[in-house]
Amino acid sequence: MKFWAIRVGSILLAVLVSYGIGMVAQGSSGTVSRLIALAGLYVTLAVSLNLINGITGQFSIGHAAFYQVGSYTAAFLASQLLARGTINNLGTPIPWVLAAVGIAIVTSGIAGFLIGLPSLRLRGDYLAIVTLGFGEILRIIIQNTPQLGGSYGINSPKAFVVPYVWMLAFLCIGACRNLLQTAHGLSFLSVREDEVASGAMGVNVTRVKVAAFVLGSAFAGAAGALLTFNEGFINVNSFTMDVSFIILTMVVLGGTGSITGSIIAALALFTLPEFLRDAPPMPLNAVLGTLAGVALLVGTIRLALDQKKLGRDFLTPKTYMGFGIAAVGGVIVSILANFLPALANRTIPSAELRMVIFSAVLVIMMLLRPQGIFGHREFGLGSIFKRAQA
Amino acid sequence: MSEPILELRNATIQFGGLVAVDNVSFEIQKGELFGLIGPNGAGKTTCFNMVTGVYKPTGGDIIFKGQRINGIPPFKVAKLGIARTFQNIRLFGALSVLENVVIGGFLRNRTNIFSSLGYMPGAIKETERLRENAMALLEVMDLADEAHGRSSDLPYGKQRRLEIARAMATQPDLLLLDEPAAGMNPQESEDLMNTVRKLRDDFGKTVLLIEHDMKFVMNLCERMVVLDHGEEIARGVPAEIRNHPEVIKAYLGEAC
Amino acid sequence: MIDPLSLTAGLDATALPQQLLNGLMFGAIYALVALGYTMVYGVLKLINFAHGEVFMIGAYTALFVSWQMGYFQGASGLTRATNPGILILMLITAMVVCGFLGVLIERFAYRPMRKQPRIASLITAIGVSMLLQYGGALVLPVSPPRSILEQVNPYDGNLSIPLKPRDGELNAAFAKAKEAEAAAKATLEQRIKQEGVSSEFDLSDEGKQIRSASQSAAQATRDAENKYLASGMSLNIPYGQGIMFLATLALMGLLTYLVMFTKTGRQMRAVAHDFDSASLMGINVDKIVTITFIIGSSLAGAGAMMCATFLGTQLTSFVGVPWGVKAFVAAVLGGIGNIPGAVLGGLLIGVAETMVVWAGGSQYKDAIAFVILILVLLVKPGGLLGSAKVEKV
Repeated sequence: MKFWAIRVGSILLAVLVSYGIGMVAQGSSGTVSRLIALAGLYVTLAVSLNLINGITGQFSIGHAAFYQVGSYTAAFLASQLLARGTINNLGTPIPWVLAAVGIAIVTSGIAGFLIGLPSLRLRGDYLAIVTLGFGEILRIIIQNTPQLGGSYGINSPKAFVVPYVWMLAFLCIGACRNLLQTAHGLSFLSVREDEVASGAMGVNVTRVKVAAFVLGSAFAGAAGALLTFNEGFINVNSFTMDVSFIILTMVVLGGTGSITGSIIAALALFTLPEFLRDAPPMPLNAVLGTLAGVALLVGTIRLALDQKKLGRDFLTPKTYMGFGIAAVGGVIVSILANFLPALANRTIPSAELRMVIFSAVLVIMMLLRPQGIFGHREFGLGSIFKRAQA
Repeated sequence: MSEPILELRNATIQFGGLVAVDNVSFEIQKGELFGLIGPNGAGKTTCFNMVTGVYKPTGGDIIFKGQRINGIPPFKVAKLGIARTFQNIRLFGALSVLENVVIGGFLRNRTNIFSSLGYMPGAIKETERLRENAMALLEVMDLADEAHGRSSDLPYGKQRRLEIARAMATQPDLLLLDEPAAGMNPQESEDLMNTVRKLRDDFGKTVLLIEHDMKFVMNLCERMVVLDHGEEIARGVPAEIRNHPEVIKAYLGEAC
Repeated sequence: MIDPLSLTAGLDATALPQQLLNGLMFGAIYALVALGYTMVYGVLKLINFAHGEVFMIGAYTALFVSWQMGYFQGASGLTRATNPGILILMLITAMVVCGFLGVLIERFAYRPMRKQPRIASLITAIGVSMLLQYGGALVLPVSPPRSILEQVNPYDGNLSIPLKPRDGELNAAFAKAKEAEAAAKATLEQRIKQEGVSSEFDLSDEGKQIRSASQSAAQATRDAENKYLASGMSLNIPYGQGIMFLATLALMGLLTYLVMFTKTGRQMRAVAHDFDSASLMGINVDKIVTITFIIGSSLAGAGAMMCATFLGTQLTSFVGVPWGVKAFVAAVLGGIGNIPGAVLGGLLIGVAETMVVWAGGSQYKDAIAFVILILVLLVKPGGLLGSAKVEKV
């Protein structure tokens, strides 16, 4: 009785929160509303890739491909419905949206199945390049298929899908969390830890791997379908290798295998470049100087951390000297930059800068905390209490 | 004599030109403590790998409880009732001690994945049941105190015991132990010997083990087969093996 | 009856040998870049995603050197170079800059990650790669369409190797057609003179007839010429590309010598075989890793210089992405970590791409590398020359 009360309660809460987020989105500008939707999609993408990569240990680095399959499935369906006059340009009714999402889940699930099959024979980097290659092949095929809009892209009537985006995110998080609570989830983890041993313990390694790929890609496909209706227009540029890498980065930065880590890294990495989009233009030499300074600073901290591991002090005169060098180095680089005619007195718009800062933050984060923000751990109220007691 | 639980009939395996196991035949009766010994590179672990489906024999048959199991994939072999440990310990290092054993029990899981994804009562109950079974096994193997620690943090001897516990969790009829006492001190291997006996006496398991520690094998096993260069050179009870000239030659070389 | 030739009408069989040759030349550059991937992977088991960006920097270095030497668009009094000194300077500078960059990347981004899980190093590599791409976009100019001027290359022209002489009868027919064309043209001109109006406005029947006769005669000449040209076969190798190919082979030979027959090469192979044991055997693994990065990156620099100079690729800070990805595919195709494999994979992909273009599927050119890769890996999971590691149980 209590079990069902909690169950129904938590589902209701997730739905309410999703609608709440939807209301906030509706009340804000178009740009903000779009960002709220995209943030939810990235949470789904990161958590679903975590299922394949972090939990099952299959090195998939082409997650955008499944996102793309779902997205194009929905766009194709919408364009067909539009051509038949079932829906009009004003917007797609929600039942049709949900139907398209359902079909997208099936198509991307099939794609996941097809990519999961090579994973039975291929390990590590070989699997990685196949997953990446699948996405590239798909992109080129779509670019040359006029029915899918070719390289221009494909239109589909928009719909307000923000609540559904977040429901999907909660569903994905919930499913992964549930899985990890059960013996089934442990069998997924065992494949990550040691395939041979888990086979000897009776775990059907083949089935686990394929299941992970199908589940992970089905969630990504559903996210893709919602993206289509959120944007109203998609083309292959939304699914490049960079997108795959960003999703992968979210998983690793959050801590492979940690669901909460994926969620927080997804939100952080997604919002960072979006904030930078609105930043004022900056002088180029200052940017270069800052980058150099930060790089030196990170190097110093890294060295000091290594020292600390050896049992020495973190803050030694050498560390302070490193900080000093970092500051002076940054200033020197920014002054030198102004001497080079190609670089002097140029300002750069923040749009160009944001990816630079994004990648710099990425490298710095990895150097300072290679195990990810959360390592393998989960983060929640429960663990805070446990720590407080300990 | 009743039907043997495991029978190797002329089992042979070849890797390229190398015959790793050559025409080896033996049978093990239910409830036996059976030893497989021989010098390094004799083909003992390869025998294990054939029995558990890691390798497919290139000749001969492997019969388990009257059923031919050549080339059946490892997870099916485990379901049929053969569990093993590994010479170079292969625990699920990042998982807890208890979780390792739960995974061992997972093959008798009766729920499907959707029930787990939805965290349905069936899946919860099943996981709970596997957890309780695992805990009971940890008690038997004297590991209950470490149940929630990371398995890779255990000391070596305990890791070997944990591997046995994990194998026991699959509820096997036949337990294959690959050098279970390797790296243990005399006290630990004495304890282990008692534990293995208990597994047979109290739980009715049949045990086939590979071991280099002669004292351990001679005291524990009731019968044994000696392999050298992939071929059987002797078989019998410990007393016979101890004085068998071929065995002495294989272990100590021609000069002695 | 169906003319069997019409089925392959789109495929110009006479162009095949030439296309194969072009493919090999492209492939040689892929192979050079692939060698860097495969060497780093062999030693560190790390996919050096920033390798494509090292290539990019190498190409820009070559471009800047050529600019420094006065070969830029709009320079006054530009004449073709007379000696290959500039080419050699460009090559060496690109190799040195890239080697240095490779060492920097290894020292500051990869070495601190060496004890971390491999996926963490991989993300760092992706981060460095993106940093160089987007950071490069801030400071590097987008080059003109033909990045490095052809005049830098003193060896103009083609080496032409006739494979099959052209048909004499067809030549005669061509000459005849030319005569007929001249005659028709003369008639037309005479008519124009006679009427005093330009032919477009000559709307009488006779005028139209003469005009169309002239047009069809011109067409017939062109057809006859094509037929004549197609009747023979010859291989044309631009001298520049030929030199590039030979230089590539020389670099590969040098690398093979270095890896197989020198002490450093032996240490390198030892580190590739077992990193930890090699360090226990007294090999300075840090030094070997540094050398590996120098060699691998400078090979990418050499490939980039040749690509920018002889193929004339337009440069942006993202130019390393397609080259890097395809070279990586080449390395995996051959069996990553395997040096001959990288060369084989690179050549194979170069040939496959030109074949696809030759067969009329130029829009699928970028996909073919991956298609081949997936097909090969399904049959041989360890690549063409690599062996899939069988895990010891």
